[in-house]
Amino acid sequence: MTTRLLMYLGIIVLGGLIGAKVKLKEKFIKRLGSLQTACLLFLLFIMGVKIGLDDKVINSFLSIGLNALIMSIFTVGFSVIFVYIINKLFLGGKE
Amino acid sequence: MTLKIVITVIIGIISGYFLLPQNILNYADYIIDFGLMLLLFFVGIDIGLNKSVFSRIKAKGIRILLVPFAIISGSILGSAIAGIILKLPFNEAGAIGAGLGWYSLSSILIASYSNELSALAFISNVIRELIAITTIPLVAKKIGFIEAIAPAGATAMDTSLPIISKSTDSEVALIAFITGAVCTFAVPILVPFILNL
Repeated sequence: MTTRLLMYLGIIVLGGLIGAKVKLKEKFIKRLGSLQTACLLFLLFIMGVKIGLDDKVINSFLSIGLNALIMSIFTVGFSVIFVYIINKLFLGGKE
Repeated sequence: MTLKIVITVIIGIISGYFLLPQNILNYADYIIDFGLMLLLFFVGIDIGLNKSVFSRIKAKGIRILLVPFAIISGSILGSAIAGIILKLPFNEAGAIGAGLGWYSLSSILIASYSNELSALAFISNVIRELIAITTIPLVAKKIGFIEAIAPAGATAMDTSLPIISKSTDSEVALIAFITGAVCTFAVPILVPFILNL
């Protein structure tokens, strides 16, 4: 877990250094957005494939999916509400 | 963006279920790891291009840690309330919420307590991640950038980070990474703790 965290951090820092120090071509910077989108959608597709291939996951989706959905809607909902409150109270509330 | 994401994930699930052979799974994790690294690298470049990010984050200082704190308490309270509806005791429901979207670890942590609860933890945290990747662009647009970190929970430092970065700005992307890291460390501590309450 810690090694993963460090690895992710290392890669972001590496990208950050390149973004800050290396003079990147304007063209590349403009393309960065669509490159990210393409990568992201591909990654999400593979994540979907992984879920679709896992019979156990698909079967439990059908049996306990509704309960799990209720659970996660409340979990996400209250997370957003709490961050909203904290943002308004302590972080300036803009954005 | 949300629509694109939803459609892509659904096409992935359908092709995984109906079309693709099982042995693709052997490669899926490598592909995901590689794709994730590439995306995190791009997120880094984005942050590096906006040099003012660090001074703005510094200005907020330690208060930034309030974001993971809010996500963790909101998640546990939210799942506890859902537990009342589903007639689950507080410790069981709360432990699922404390999984913060990290479905593999949270289900493992709960496995020794009960298989049934472990499966519920797994699926509801998978759904949390699915909700996160689909609603982050919407929350960013309709509610706010900081709030867009909330659905992600522990995945704000990896799988959800590229989406947060695309839907918000470099400053929020950096806050998201910090938030995800704090949440990631909290999961293995909180899940057993709440389960034993």
